Order: sequence, then C-alpha cells, then structure tokens
Amino acid sequence: MIVLLLAVPLVGAGILSRATGRLAGTVHGLTTACTLVIGLVVATVGVRGRVDTALDGFLRVDALAAWMIAVIVVVGALAATEAPRYALHDERRLYPLLHLMIFSMLLAVSTDDVGAMWVAVEGTTLASVFLVNFERTRASLEAAYKYLLICSVGIAIAFAGTVLVYYAEMVRQQTLAVHAPSALRWTTLVALAPALPSRVLEVAFVCLVVGYGTKAGLAPMHTWLPDAHSEAPAPVSALMSGVLLSVGVYAIARFKPIIDAAGGSGFAGRILLALGLLSLAVAAVFLWAPDNYKRMLAYSSVEHIGLVCLGLGFGGALGVAGALLHVANHGLAKSALFLLAGRIRAAYGTVELARVRGLLTALPFTGRAFVVALIALLGLPPFGLFTSEVMIVAAGIEQGHAWIAGATLVLLVLAFGGLLRAVHAMTLGAAPEVGAARGSWVTALPIVAALALLVLTGVAWPPGLGAALALAAQAVTR
Amino acid sequence: MSAISNLLVFAALAATMVLVWRQSWRARLRLFVLQSALLAALAVAIGALADRPTLVVLGVVFAVGKTWLIPRVIRRMALGIPLRPLAPGRSAGLRVLAAAALVVVAYVVMLPVTGAVAGGVPTRAAMPLAFAMVLIGLFVCVTGHDALGQVTGFLVLENGLFALALLATYGLPGIVEIGAFLEVLVFVLLLEGVLLEIRREHDSLDVERLGELRG
Repeated sequence: MIVLLLAVPLVGAGILSRATGRLAGTVHGLTTACTLVIGLVVATVGVRGRVDTALDGFLRVDALAAWMIAVIVVVGALAATEAPRYALHDERRLYPLLHLMIFSMLLAVSTDDVGAMWVAVEGTTLASVFLVNFERTRASLEAAYKYLLICSVGIAIAFAGTVLVYYAEMVRQQTLAVHAPSALRWTTLVALAPALPSRVLEVAFVCLVVGYGTKAGLAPMHTWLPDAHSEAPAPVSALMSGVLLSVGVYAIARFKPIIDAAGGSGFAGRILLALGLLSLAVAAVFLWAPDNYKRMLAYSSVEHIGLVCLGLGFGGALGVAGALLHVANHGLAKSALFLLAGRIRAAYGTVELARVRGLLTALPFTGRAFVVALIALLGLPPFGLFTSEVMIVAAGIEQGHAWIAGATLVLLVLAFGGLLRAVHAMTLGAAPEVGAARGSWVTALPIVAALALLVLTGVAWPPGLGAALALAAQAVTR
Repeated sequence: MSAISNLLVFAALAATMVLVWRQSWRARLRLFVLQSALLAALAVAIGALADRPTLVVLGVVFAVGKTWLIPRVIRRMALGIPLRPLAPGRSAGLRVLAAAALVVVAYVVMLPVTGAVAGGVPTRAAMPLAFAMVLIGLFVCVTGHDALGQVTGFLVLENGLFALALLATYGLPGIVEIGAFLEVLVFVLLLEGVLLEIRREHDSLDVERLGELRG
C-alpha cells in the first residue's frame, strides 16, 4: 500500500511530462484523486496504531508519518484543484513537477531511513525550483536562484548532521563502518539512542536544525522564503507554505527523540525554543509593514512554523500533539489563503496591498472566503488554529516555561494586530471595476472544504482525532 | 592509513585556502579540480586500505563528476563573462585570515566529536580538517559577489562534506551516497538553467544587481 502511494504520483508525473491538452488535465485529475484516496487509506490505518512497513523496512509508516501523509495528500489535492488555471499554456512544466514535489514529500515522511529522508527533502527543492520561476519574470528568476542556493546550502549542512549521527552510531557499535542497510534506519537509531555519545549528537543536532530549519523557513534561515512563496504560482505557494515547510520540521522532529534519549537533557528543546521564538519575533515585526499580500502570507508562515517549533521545544505529550495539530491547521488555512490570493491577483492584476481595495464588493465569494480564512489564520475560534495555539501555549506553562509561553502570547498578539490591519485595508474602500470571472460553485468547493475541516479540528473533533494525535506524539516524546 | 588520510585532506584544505586567496574564476576552478582530485584519491586510498571495493568505485565516479563534468558545466556558465576588475583596496588577505580562523573554529567544534569518545575509525583525526572545508565553503558562498563565486563556495562545501563522510564512516550506505552525488549534479544543471536566464535578463551574473525583491 505504501509502495502504491509513492508509485502513483511518480508514474503520474512521468505520464504528464509527455501529455498535453485535455489528456494532461485528465491524468492530472486522476493522479490527484488516486494519491488522495490511497494516502487517506494509508493514513487511517497508520493513525490507529498499526505500523506498516514495506521494502524490507525501508518504508515505514507509523502514526506520526501517517499524520504527515494525511496533511500532504489533503493539501496536495487542494493545491491541485487550482493548478489547471495556471497550466493553460505550460502544462508540461507545471503538472509533472507538482506531482514530483508531492512524491518527494511523501517519500520523505514515509521512509524509515534518515539518509533517504535527506535525499527526498533535497529532492523537493530540486523539483520546485522551476515552479518558483514558472512565470519567468525577473523577480521570479531571482527568487528561484535564491531558493535553490540557500536551500541547497542548508540541506548540505543537514547532510553533515546525518553523517555525524551515523558516526556516533559507528563509534558505539565498534563495527568500523560496515554499511548495514539498517544502520541509518530511524528505528535502529532510536533503539540505540540511550547508549550513543551525547556530545557528538549535540553537534549533529545543531547541523540538522540549521539544515532542515532552512527548508522549514525558521528564522534566521528564512530569507529565501518570502521571495519564493510570493513569486511562485498560487498552487505551488500553497504546497510550499502548507506542507513543504512542515516536512522540514518533521525531519527535525524525527531526530529530537534520539538526541533526548542520548542524555542531551533538554538540549534539543532549548534550541527549538530559541529558534521558534526568533521566527515568531521576525514575522511579527514584518507583519506590521507588508507591501505585498503574498509576502504577508509568506511571513505568516514563518510565524506559524515558529509556533510549531515552540510546541516541539516545549515537548510533553500536549506540546507535540499541539504542534502536530498546528501543522495540519496551518496547512489547510495557508493553502486556502494562497489559492484565494492567486484569484485576487488575477482579478486586480497586482500583489500590492495598497492597490487592493473593496475586496468584499469586488469579489463577493473570494473576498469573503479570504476574510474567513484569515480569521482562521489569526487563531480565532471556532477554527482549528485557535485550539492548537492554546495547546502549545498550555504545554509551555505545563512544562515550566511560563516566561517563554508569555512571550509567545505577546508576539502572537503583535502578529495578530499586523495581519488584522492589512485585512482591514484590503476590505475597506471603494471597489474598483475588476474583470472577475464569475466562479461557479465547483471552484468554491475546495476552499469551503478546507474551511469546514478547520472548524472540525477547532470545535468538533471527530472521534479518534485525539487518540491519533496522542499516538503520533509518542513517536517524538518517547 | 591515518597518515595518508591526514596528508590528503591537509593538501585539499591547503588548496581551499589558495582558492580563497585567488580572485579569478579560472584559477579558482583549477583549484577546485585539484581539491576534487585529492579527495577522489582519498576515497580510493581508504577503499584500498580498508578493503572496501565500493569506495574505490565511488572515488572513480567522484573524480569523473567533479574534475570533468562539473568544471565543463561551469566553464559553459562563465563563457563570455568579462572578468571583473578588482576594486582597489579590496585585499584577499583578510579573507584568508578569516578562513584560517574558521579552521580553528572547526577544531573547537569537532573537539567533542573526535576527542571525547574512544573508538571510531582510524581516519577520524582528519575530521576537523574536512569540517573546516565545509565552513570555508560556506564562507566563500556567503561572501561571493557574483553567482560564480557563490557556486564555487557551494561546491567546496560539498567537497568538504564528501571528505567528512569518508573520514567519519568510510562513506554512507550506497543509496545515500548515490543520492547525494546525483543531487550535486542536478543542482549544477538546474543552476545553469537559472543562471543562463539571469544572464539573458541582466546581461551579467553579478547578483548584487538582483535587487527586485527586498524586505
């Protein structure tokens, strides 16, 4: 089943690189639908606690991986529904790369081998470079260059971290490097962790956090993010902001229990808390002076990834569960917002905040949905981000980090104010005559679905969600 | 074995230092090739002495990729770029000094790794030298004024990582090693595509002119 899940987007991408016209649209739809269905089946099995393995243990889906798979396929499907609008003239570039990106993300979370995970995370960068430069403007070209260089350097440093983890294991085993296929497996590492030299692992963890943190958009390694996310076409921005960042955090989360077990005594947690708080602060400052609404959304991603890191850093079952729930909530809200931002841009012909006025009257559905999704992003009830933010802050207090939890709240309120000001400006004022294509209910459906899911994770947890989160969190807190 | 590995990595680090000092991209490319050849020799030497045939193969593939394939692509990228006249007063001395400081930093960072634990492979004494190469590559990449300088820095960083993986654990399991190598190749090819477009747009590879995105 896991093999099938990985094969579908890969084969789809292969066919799509040759297909054009209506055939391409059909194959794109089919690939998306199959990935979604198979992904949800794999995820449902996984979050119930059944650990599924394939290819001799190379692929392994536990509850944590299952949770990430669910987020990736749902956000992936959401982004894919919007792709045909952008693929009009260049479907052979957009569709295959989009599915290749989804494939690499799925591989990154479903493999048990931390080396293969590294390869897959780097693969996501390579697959998305040309998607960032999809519009071939000067600005998008610059964004693509920055993205490729900064993320490649970052991921190279994560490679150094992986080597050092492996070195620690070799020292422990005294086997002088007989590359056993299971040597870099996460399960092997976790089992050995208590006996590994903790000081080597601490150096390794710093490299890993810098490396995967670059992919995750943590400050101060976030500089590529606002450019890439604002220049990429909407479905790609939605995927990058919604899940790609979280895959980077996932990689860090996988290593955290290994460092903790080796006797780091909160070393990993402290680093995550510092970077999380810094990301929150950087984003909160910028959110007060945005000039471009796509960049505003991108900086808000830095804020939310910072929050996820804080949740992981606080630790405890509550903190990690909150962080995981926040990954899903942020993925849904942010991808919906980026898709809507793409529609606003198509109607107004600009991404400048100052030139978007009277949004609610000019684009009745898109405008309202944008405001509702922003309210969700601001962390107001009844949406899921409220719940997960409360969980994360509560975990901070529970774990004795009341000061950091307090600072988090202050920064959240700051960011809240900045975003609110921007929405205010966009919705007020006289509406210009915009050539908005009247959307049918079909185009509204994915957005409404995303918002409905957010209400579910907010006030009406479906049965089993709590148990699933607790189970997934166990992989990190063990 | 530790003598040979120390010697080869030290020579590669010396090449890196000269690379930091030199300004013209042709000289830098030659030094990169020299460094890559030394590291390929390191892989072959470790492979032969530790009786690991896969490492010998890896060294040969590495040599072909890094001393022939990648330099070819870089020459194609750089074709037709006028050599930047050096700004007066911009001396390389300070950069070399910074690179030397990074070697010390690498030793300090690697102290708990190589010192605190007994055991490990006999080549581990040279690990700080390889880590210094990683840091210097990062330094060259960050301080590079044009795309070629930044790419050179990245490639030096990658070489340092290759050396680090060899010295620490005699390389990584096959799939990772192949993956890492392919990624470097794809990276360079992708970058060539992006840079060709940048040159068409700006008529230069000077990234300081890329100033559309700020804030």
